[in-house]
Amino acid sequence: MAVLASTVVGMAEIEIIKGQGILSCLGLGSCIGLCALDAQAGVAGMAHIMLPEAFADKPVDRPGKFANTGVPALIQLLEEAGASKNRLVFAMAGGARVFKFSAGTHSRMDIGARNNIAVLESLKKLNFRLRGTETGGNLGRTLTFNVETGLIRVRTISQAERDLCNLRG
Amino acid sequence: MATLTLEDIVAKTADLPTMPAAALAVMNETQKATCSAQSVARCLLQDQALSSRILRLANSSFYGMSRQVSTAQESVVILGMRVIRNLAIVASTYPWLQKSLTGYGLDANALWAHSFAVGVASQTIAERTRQADPSEAFVAGLLHNMGKLALNSWIENKIVPMIALCAREDLPFDAIERKVLGYDHADVGAHLAKSWNLPAPLTRAIGFHHRPLEAPAGEKLASIVHLADHFATSFGIGPGGDSFRYEFFGEVLDILSIPEGDTDVLAHDFLMAFERHEKLFEVKAA
Repeated sequence: MAVLASTVVGMAEIEIIKGQGILSCLGLGSCIGLCALDAQAGVAGMAHIMLPEAFADKPVDRPGKFANTGVPALIQLLEEAGASKNRLVFAMAGGARVFKFSAGTHSRMDIGARNNIAVLESLKKLNFRLRGTETGGNLGRTLTFNVETGLIRVRTISQAERDLCNLRG
Repeated sequence: MATLTLEDIVAKTADLPTMPAAALAVMNETQKATCSAQSVARCLLQDQALSSRILRLANSSFYGMSRQVSTAQESVVILGMRVIRNLAIVASTYPWLQKSLTGYGLDANALWAHSFAVGVASQTIAERTRQADPSEAFVAGLLHNMGKLALNSWIENKIVPMIALCAREDLPFDAIERKVLGYDHADVGAHLAKSWNLPAPLTRAIGFHHRPLEAPAGEKLASIVHLADHFATSFGIGPGGDSFRYEFFGEVLDILSIPEGDTDVLAHDFLMAFERHEKLFEVKAA
C-alpha cells in the first residue's frame, strides 16, 4: 500500500492539498486546527490558529496566526486552488485550557476558549458551519485529516485515537 | 513509596546534568563590576568545545556579522557580555536538555523546545515589563524544568497513576510529585542550581516557577517564568505527559503590572521572538 504524503501544519501556517495526502497539527494546546474540504474539487486545507484576533496597530506577518484573519485566508487559498466556497465543509479541534486557573485568574487568560469562540464567529460571519468539533478541556490534541477519505481523527495523550468526523460523509 | 530527601535524589541519580566549569565561570565573571572582554574570553577558553560552539553561533546569520568573528575575545566585544553569557549557557545545556525523558513522557527535543521557548518568553516579558534583567530571565526560563532531568528516573512508569491522582484529588502535578516523592521538579531544579552556585534570584525563580506567589516579595523572576510557561504550553511547544496538569496563578499579572488586555500582545511578541531564534538554536516546535 502506498504511503500518503503527510504535511505537518506548523504554528500559524495554512496548508492546502489537492487530491491525496494527510494534513496534521501536532500537540495542539490552546491553538485550533481548522480543516476544510471541497470534496467535489478534491481540495482541502488546514490552518493552525494561535490567537483570536490580529492587532490593529501591528502588521499581520502570517494570517494563519489569528482566527479573524486565518479563516478568510484559508478560504481564499482553497478557492485559489480550485475549491468552491459553497461546497466547503469544516471541522476543528483544539482550544484547550492548558492550566487550571487560580481564583484570581481573569478569563482572558483562557486563550483556548477565546480561540474557539473567535473561529466560530469568523465562520458564522461567512455563513459556514462546522461538521465536527472537539474543543476545550485540558487535553493536548493531535489532529489528522486524510484528504482522500475525508476522515478527521483526534489523538490525545491519555486517550486512544478516535474519529472526529468525515468531511466527505 | 517512602519520601526522599533532595540529597537522596541527587546522590542516587545517575547521569545528573552538569554545567561546564567554563560556563559557570562566564556567568560569575559577567556579574562582576570588574569584568572585561578579556576576562570573559579567558573563562570561555577554559573549554575549547564550548568556545568553538559560541564562535559558530556568533558567526551564524542570526547576528548578521559583516565579517567573520574568529576569537573568543572578539565575540565578547562584538556581541556583548550578556549575549555571550546566554550563548554559553545555551551551548552548555543543549546536550542534556535535548534528551528524551520517558518518565515525564517527553520525546527527544521536547524538553529542549519547551525550555528554550520559556527562556525566550521570559526574556520577552522582562524586556516589555522592565521588571527583571532580560538576560537573567532568559536563563531562568531555560533552566526552569531542569529538575525533571533528576526526577525522571524516579517517576519512570509512574506518570499514568500520578496523572490519575491529579484528577482524583484535583491537584496540580507538582503537588502530586511532592506527595509521591517528597519534592517536586522545581525544588530539585533549585537544589541543582544552588549546587552550581547560580545567583540566588535565579535559583529561587526555578524553585518557585509553579508557585510564584510564594516567592519572596519583590522578586519578579518566578512570576515571569510562570507566565512564560503559560505561553509556551498554550502554543503546544514541547508538550509532555504532565502538560496541562499545572495551576496558573493570574495574580502574576498584577505582580508584573501587566494589564489583562496586554497579554495577547505579549504572547504575540514572544512568538515573533521565538520564530527569530528557533532556527539559530535548532529548536523544532510543531
